Amino acid sequence: VSGAGAALRPCSSRVAQDGINKPVIDRIIRVDHAGEYGANRIYAGQMAVLGRSSVGPVIQQMWNQEKSHLKKFSELMVAYRVRPTVLLPFWNVAGFVLGAGSALLGKKGAMACTVAVEESISEHYNNQIRTLIEEDPEKYKELLQVIKQFRDEEQEHHDIGLEHDAEA
Amino acid sequence: KMAAAGGLRRAGWRLWRARRAVVRCQQCPPLRALQASAALRAASDEHKKEPWASSSQQHFESPPAGHQPEEKPQGPHPSYTGQGGQESEDYESEEQLQHRILTAALEFVPEHGWTAEAIAEGAKTLGLSVAAAGLFHSDGSELILHFVSECNTKLSELLKKEQKLVQLGEAEKKPIDEFLRDAVEARLRMLIPYIEKWPQALSVLLLPRNIPSSLNLLTSMIDDIWHYAGDQSTDFNWYTRRAVLTAIYNTTELVMMQDSSPGFEDTWRFLENRVADAMTMSNTATQVQSTGEAVVQGLMGAAVTVSNAGTSRAVR
Repeated sequence: VSGAGAALRPCSSRVAQDGINKPVIDRIIRVDHAGEYGANRIYAGQMAVLGRSSVGPVIQQMWNQEKSHLKKFSELMVAYRVRPTVLLPFWNVAGFVLGAGSALLGKKGAMACTVAVEESISEHYNNQIRTLIEEDPEKYKELLQVIKQFRDEEQEHHDIGLEHDAEA
Repeated sequence: KMAAAGGLRRAGWRLWRARRAVVRCQQCPPLRALQASAALRAASDEHKKEPWASSSQQHFESPPAGHQPEEKPQGPHPSYTGQGGQESEDYESEEQLQHRILTAALEFVPEHGWTAEAIAEGAKTLGLSVAAAGLFHSDGSELILHFVSECNTKLSELLKKEQKLVQLGEAEKKPIDEFLRDAVEARLRMLIPYIEKWPQALSVLLLPRNIPSSLNLLTSMIDDIWHYAGDQSTDFNWYTRRAVLTAIYNTTELVMMQDSSPGFEDTWRFLENRVADAMTMSNTATQVQSTGEAVVQGLMGAAVTVSNAGTSRAVR
C-alpha cells in the first residue's frame, strides 16, 4: 500500500479512500455543509419573525427541506472524514440575523432574500457539478447525484420565492 | 566505447527517474543529494568500502549489457538481500531508499541520538556508504519526522484492528475515557526505547522549518484517535474535542520525559486524571447549557404570563 512513499512525506498517516481526490472532495463537502447550515439559520430567522404570518407555512416547508439537506451533508462529512468549517459559530449568528433582518422588512423582504440566496446557492452547486464531472463522473457518481438533486430543490425554493415576491 | 555510452545512458536514466520521484515528494533533499544517492546505489552494487568518487567511474565502465530499466519502482519496497550486484536490476525510488535508510538508522538512535551519525550507521548496515547521511539534514529532522510518521501508522493499524474485533463481537466496546487513555498510552509507549533522546527530538520538531510537518502529523494522529473512538461530530465540537485531546497528549508526553517511576506509572496516572478532567468538563458544559436553557424558558414563561396578565387587565 502507500506505506513506503507516504511515510517519507511526513504528513498524514491516513490513506486515500479508493484514490479519490481528497482535497477537492473535502472542500466541496465542507463548503456545502456550511452553506446548508447557514441556509438553515436564515430560514430559522425568517420563521422567528414571519412564522405566524400567511407566508409562514411556505417558509416552514422550505426550511424542512434545508434541514434534510444539512442532515445529508453531515452524513457525508462523517463518511469522508471531512472537518467542518471553523466559522460555524459565525454562520450561526450571521444566518439568523440575515433571515430575521430581511423578514422584518416584511414578506417581500424575506422572499427577496430567499431568491437571492437560492440563486447564488444554485450557481455554486452548478460549479461543483462541473468540477466533479471534469474530475471523474463515474468515481463521484453518488456525490454528483446528491448535489444535482439539491441543486434542483434549491432552484424550486428560488422559484417559490419569486412567486411570493411577485404576489406580495 | 559502446559500453561507456550505455553506462552513461543508464546513469542518466537513473538520475532522471530519481529526480522525477523526488519532484513528487514534498520534502526534497537538495539536488546535489540526488547525484549523491545515484552514485551511492552504484557504490553499493559494486564496491562497498571504496570512496564513492572512484566507484562511480567503475559503474560507467561495466554496466550489464542490454538491460531495460523498469518504468516504476515495485509496490512495497523490495527486500534487500545485502549482496552487492543482485539489486542492481531493481530500481527503487529516491523516497523508498531514504525510507529504508531512516528505518535502519532508528536502531542506532539510543546510542548516537537523532544525528547524522545514527543515519550513517544505518546506511552502513544496508551496505551503503556513510555518505548517505549527506542526503539528510544534519539536525536529524527527517529521521525524527520519519519516526513519528511510523509510530502514527502503527497506532492507526492498532486502532483499526481493535475496531475490527469490536465489530466482529469479539471484544467489548470501550467507554470513551478508557479508549482515549489506552490510545494515548499505546502511542506514548512507542517512545520508550528512545526516551533518553526524545527531548532532543521534541526541540527539533519545534524548529520553524519542521513545524508544518510536525503539526500535520500531530493533528492527523489526534483525528485518527477520535475517529476510532467513534466521534461523529459535525459542529464546533469537532474542534473542541481535538483541541482537548491534543492538550492531554502534549502534557502527558512532557510528564513522561521527566518521569522516573517504575514502568512510567506516574505518567499513566497523570494521563488518567487529565482524561477524567476532560470528561468532567464536557459533562459540566452540557449541564451548564441545559441550566441556561431552563433559565431562558423560565424567563420567557414569566414574560408571557406578565403580558397576558397586562392584556387581561386592560380588557377588564
